[in-house]
Amino acid sequence: MPAFASSRSVERRVRPLPAILPIGVLLVAGALFAVNGFASARNLANLGLQASILLMLAMPMTLIIMSEGLDLSAGAVLSLCSVVMAESLAGGHGIASALAASIAVGLAFGLANGAMVSLLALPPFVVTLGTLGIAEGASLVLTEGNAVSGLGSAIATLYALDVFGLPFPLLVALATWLTTYLLLHYTRFGTYVFAIGGNRDALVLAGAPAWAYHIAIYAFGGLVSGVAALLLTGRMNAAHPTVAIGMEFDAIAAVVLGGTSFERGDGRLLGTVLGVATITVLRNALDLLGIESSLQVVSIGALILLVIVIDSLRKSRRVQAA
Amino acid sequence: MARDDHDGDGSGQPAAPAPLLSLRNVSKTFPGVRALDDVSLDIRAGEVHMLLGENGAGKSTLIKVLYGAYRADAGTILFEGKAVDITRPADARRLGIAVIFQEFSLVPFLDLAQNIFLGREPRRPLTRLIDHARMHREARGVLDSLGLDYDTRALAADLGVAQQQMVEIAKALSQRARILVMDEPTAALSERESNALFALIRQLRAAGVAIVYISHRMQEVFALGDRVTVLRDGRRVATLSAGEATPDELIGMMVGRAVGAVYKRRQYGAAGRIVLDVRGLTTATGVRDVDLNVREGEIVGLSGLVGAGRTEVARAVFGADAIVAGEVRISGASVEGGPERIAARGVALIPENRKLEGLALKRSVQDNLLVASLWKLFPHGWYRAGSAHRHARALIERLRVTPPAPRRLARALSGGNQQKIVIGKWLAAGCRLFLFDEPTRGIDVGAKSEIFALIEDLVERGAAVLLISSELTEIVHVCDRAYVMRAGRIGGELGRAELSEANILRLAMHET
Repeated sequence: MPAFASSRSVERRVRPLPAILPIGVLLVAGALFAVNGFASARNLANLGLQASILLMLAMPMTLIIMSEGLDLSAGAVLSLCSVVMAESLAGGHGIASALAASIAVGLAFGLANGAMVSLLALPPFVVTLGTLGIAEGASLVLTEGNAVSGLGSAIATLYALDVFGLPFPLLVALATWLTTYLLLHYTRFGTYVFAIGGNRDALVLAGAPAWAYHIAIYAFGGLVSGVAALLLTGRMNAAHPTVAIGMEFDAIAAVVLGGTSFERGDGRLLGTVLGVATITVLRNALDLLGIESSLQVVSIGALILLVIVIDSLRKSRRVQAA
Repeated sequence: MARDDHDGDGSGQPAAPAPLLSLRNVSKTFPGVRALDDVSLDIRAGEVHMLLGENGAGKSTLIKVLYGAYRADAGTILFEGKAVDITRPADARRLGIAVIFQEFSLVPFLDLAQNIFLGREPRRPLTRLIDHARMHREARGVLDSLGLDYDTRALAADLGVAQQQMVEIAKALSQRARILVMDEPTAALSERESNALFALIRQLRAAGVAIVYISHRMQEVFALGDRVTVLRDGRRVATLSAGEATPDELIGMMVGRAVGAVYKRRQYGAAGRIVLDVRGLTTATGVRDVDLNVREGEIVGLSGLVGAGRTEVARAVFGADAIVAGEVRISGASVEGGPERIAARGVALIPENRKLEGLALKRSVQDNLLVASLWKLFPHGWYRAGSAHRHARALIERLRVTPPAPRRLARALSGGNQQKIVIGKWLAAGCRLFLFDEPTRGIDVGAKSEIFALIEDLVERGAAVLLISSELTEIVHVCDRAYVMRAGRIGGELGRAELSEANILRLAMHET
């Protein structure tokens, strides 16, 4: 057998941790010591609930961003799903059919986003900006701008359920994480998420239907939004047409904080989970300190920039060292 | 067209085996280019079939048609005598055709095993989940068979160029292909790695695999090839067994491209002082120890095959890429710094992609013409429309831009006229040294001679010109002398008397 003796051996390299890890730890430690009421059992349980919905949006968002895409419509679609679910419950339907309706709406938007990005090669930013408008408008039309209530007790009961000591919303969110993890690392779909972001031509040349997998990435996002509506609606036992508008900002922020890149298909789910935890803790601590929501957005923006600057400085130092 | 299987091949071989794959009268046209013109070709099991041709002869198109990346406009493909439709890469894969592409097809953030098995990931029977253990085991086996001790869990992003090339080869091998197509596989490899690859190719040939091998190195053609097919202008010139041809004969078949009306120099003037003097230039982009100079009144060609490093030399001279070693002197003074510093010394780079780098398409002809010379025209920073208009009109007349409308958008002009404006921009700025990178690419024949007439005007007025062109005839007919690059180095210099297509190819392909 020929031996390529002159080729240097290739080792698996340990990838550096994203800067969010130490910053997140510092933030949690700071909140524990400095913010009154942060460490209370009630607040910690509350944190878990707050994190649940964000985690559900951020999981598929990680895959979308890894594929060099973006989904600005996530928050608006989630709101619409919640409205559809609530209208269905208020109309006397059971929780299963309400969930099915919500998932159908989410899936439809996901498929539409994916089809336009994949088949028409339109920029994801513009496509999802358009569907954001459609979803937001549809919510307002369906509700005439009012909250939908009178849903009965089914969904509130489900939301308050404890399964093996875990609150139901957290359980659904963790199941979403596990599912996304399995999809990303143990299925062809997941492998092709890396390929679509990293080198789509390679996937096409490998004979795989890249276009279909590209659509599936966005469809997965829509499907998860449909399920997440269960938590959003259950939390208040009502739906409001604009309740989740802007939540895509936190989801995208969590993905970026977690070290997922907009280029070359580089990403990791664990980073996104850390990003979700950091943003939730930050918002919660600022709430407890009585700092208003607009300033919270400022602080999240500043945090993103801080983490990105640190990561890029570390990267350029690594390149120099190599 | 003859329907027998031995069409055009060496008749010296009795009882040649039936072809594994045959192309019959295959054509492929792109807007303005006949990339493949009625090509017929047989590929037999157990042979190494070399494909030879100049830049743009149709080799890459041929591969893409074979692999289903392009669809032929006309003609048929026979596999084991049966007509097959290869419309997608998946079709080619099913037939057992694997391609090692020159532009790499690895996914950066997948590991080596995932890259090798991309599109064919082994899955567990029941759950349909990817069987990582099996995938890594099999990837290990393929890498071992190549003698590579790479960790299958390493990410492709962490590989060097030669290592990526080896993984590409492993990827193709793992498909147990019956036809293996290699597009210049040794371009990124060291000599030892190349030799090991050759040994592997001989093993595969012995095992009955058909190998189609594109090369620009004459040595490889004779060391490895059983048969050679020469392409020129999208047509098959000949197919012969490697023993039948001499290197000179092969080169003779490759040259003589029909380029339409060939430009005739009005006169060859006497060269003046040295304007550009490059010594020992080495860059991170692959230029190695390049020496060259250009004098006043001279058009000096920089030739070589695509990827030999010509554009990289021009970019380094212009300060667009960092210089690792060596120096660039302009009019005797050593210069350093970025493009602005170099441009201030009267150097102009007219890049290959004029639409991206040389023109503001949505601005007027006048704006484009004057953009580089505004400070010269209006030293106090005060723009005077009337004076600008007069200057633009004078330039348009001199450049013979049609239509002569200064306010027309640059976008609305033909390719040839756009190129004139890019040249005019630097003319207005009073440049002394012009670096042209493929100035006639995508320009029709008539406009080509106008561009060359402009370039000749420049040198008649004492400017110095370095002309990069992939068209050998252009170099031969337009230049006073030429350097030929090969793998980042200057392979040789040809004076006007020695300047011929065959001599350029000989240097470019290392045929001494």
